[in-house]
Amino acid sequence: MEFQGTDNYYLNPELQSIVNMAIQMEKPLLLTGEPGTGKTQLAFEISRSLGMPLEILRAKSTIKGEETCYVQDTVLRLNDARFGGADTGRDVNQFFDYIIWGPIGRAFRSEERVVLLLDEIDKTESDVQDNLLDVLDEKQFTIREINQVIQAKLPPLILITSNAKRELSDPFLRRCFCHHLAFPSREEMIEIVKLHFAELDAKLLDTALNIFYELRARGFEKAPATSELLDWLQALKSSETDLQVPDQIPFLGALLKRTEDILSFRNGKQQPGSRW
Amino acid sequence: MVAPPAADPVFLGFFYLLQEYGIPVNLHYLIDFYAGLQKGLVRNIDELFVFLRLNLVKKAEHMDAFERAFAFYFFDIDIPDLAEDDPEVLNTRQFQEWLRQAIANKEITGPIWQMDREQLIKKFWETLKQQMERHDGGKRWVGTGGASPFGHSGMAQPGVRVHGPGGNRSAIKAIGERNYIDYASSHALKGTNIRQALTALKKLQPSGAPTELDIHETISKTAQNGGEIELVFARELRDKISVLLLIDNGGMSMLPHAELTRLLFDKLKDRFKSLKTYYFHNTIYQRVYADPYHSKPIATEKLLQLPKETRVIIMGDASMAPDELYASRGSLYFEDEHNETSMHWLSKIKERFSQSVWLNPILKEHWQQNGAWTLHQIRSVFEMEDLSLNGIKKAVEHLNQKS
Repeated sequence: MEFQGTDNYYLNPELQSIVNMAIQMEKPLLLTGEPGTGKTQLAFEISRSLGMPLEILRAKSTIKGEETCYVQDTVLRLNDARFGGADTGRDVNQFFDYIIWGPIGRAFRSEERVVLLLDEIDKTESDVQDNLLDVLDEKQFTIREINQVIQAKLPPLILITSNAKRELSDPFLRRCFCHHLAFPSREEMIEIVKLHFAELDAKLLDTALNIFYELRARGFEKAPATSELLDWLQALKSSETDLQVPDQIPFLGALLKRTEDILSFRNGKQQPGSRW
Repeated sequence: MVAPPAADPVFLGFFYLLQEYGIPVNLHYLIDFYAGLQKGLVRNIDELFVFLRLNLVKKAEHMDAFERAFAFYFFDIDIPDLAEDDPEVLNTRQFQEWLRQAIANKEITGPIWQMDREQLIKKFWETLKQQMERHDGGKRWVGTGGASPFGHSGMAQPGVRVHGPGGNRSAIKAIGERNYIDYASSHALKGTNIRQALTALKKLQPSGAPTELDIHETISKTAQNGGEIELVFARELRDKISVLLLIDNGGMSMLPHAELTRLLFDKLKDRFKSLKTYYFHNTIYQRVYADPYHSKPIATEKLLQLPKETRVIIMGDASMAPDELYASRGSLYFEDEHNETSMHWLSKIKERFSQSVWLNPILKEHWQQNGAWTLHQIRSVFEMEDLSLNGIKKAVEHLNQKS
């Protein structure tokens, strides 16, 4: 099993060998980096390239951990007990008829090996993270109500992303392979853009990238990232706008999202990117 | 010193070197690494680099140190721990060793004091880069350092410059360089005890809509109801604590405490749902600053409009010239000259936010020494605790007191 890039995802060779090393070592791969570096996208590409189903856990701050494995639908069971669920095919005496599996539960019970993505894990509390990793480490969890252990049939390939809004705990980091995705360089960005826009005027792209990287360097609150660039290029292309007018950026709203950023751009104020 | 790679096929020396570079190494990492070697994951030096990094570097802030260690161990290239445009490079042993060699090899001629510093720095980095490009693992050209005849005294920057922390912490109107340290920068974290203490601050209080099904209550109500279902909902538990953090990050006197402050700052960032941070220099006047560089002023009056329940934590050494607290012209900023005294502002903050506390990086037992006078004046307004685990626990008690 060897992961290779796909037609619509630019994969740099280093990242490719990292993914393959993580697969070989059966280690969770933790990807950090600012938004727009393709962390989440990578999981989709791995799933597509290796033909493995993808299970996604989108982390929220309210997650306590257990529901990522399973939830018992007590209300439904209570309802069936009271009003009868004969024609629904559910049996009130059957505990498993009222279990809703979470992404981890589904990944463990799957008959084929799956890619399990834990997206934006940093949104959860740190003790939840540790609990999750225990589950993933042992590749099993217990259904408390009936004290039954669910063991993974095939170890899933685990990818974890983090925007580093909070520090992840040391034990968590210790068990993962960690990789920090740098923002794509200009050359890489050209590769990425090419995947999305087959025939884009080279001159337009060149000017657009100049503007894009210059804006990024100015230190805005929300610096434009890859997806903003792609949206912007789409807008430029559809409207056939020329970029040659100096000091004027059409569709600025596609690049800068925050009001303060747009205002400070208009005022031409120097952002405190440097120290003094 | 480290053994050469040839005599060290399992790279043990490298793992020890990493510790010297401040990267924590765990035995499990080594075992995983060797397991990977056995699986044949490493076929060339590039893969070795990637795989070592994958096993050993867990945080982005260690990345640079790892790369430097790798360059040193495998290529004999010693890169200083500085950015390329940092003139501090003149004081590194790497630079001084290079200079010594360059002069010995007659690559640089003429009297050293006439040489352009910028040129020298540029040449130094160029040499480094050339070495990296060549990948030659050539003769190690930087030794263990030692006494160099070209100390930094010969190359001191012109102009007024403050050298080292002052013996007396009272400094009236800082002149020359101001040392603001960006506390938000992510450095290696330690001291989980602070986290534990701060967890106490996260007091859960029921708020929000009653949307969670209370199963136990529902079952018992339903049973009482003769099997007729009665659903009981409970309020969702949500943390509502908002915190206002004011950090003293100006002047030489705070520099020795920088590491501690940064640590606390990062921990706080981690713990609360809403956390506002502002910076000041020595004490608070009519404005504080939204950024560590003091370039985005915010009126203190505005802070006073935050909800009364906001917990306020002020972080500073409370050591300054007495004038700065009591004179209306005490501010270090010239534009602040006509104004209320700092004492006035501090009292206003305390008045508005009864749940507030002053944390002092100076340990309690030293409070009688330097800067003690202003420290005790501020204590008459705020509860003050020191930045120790005990101090923080006490600070949390103050913050939890009902207004």
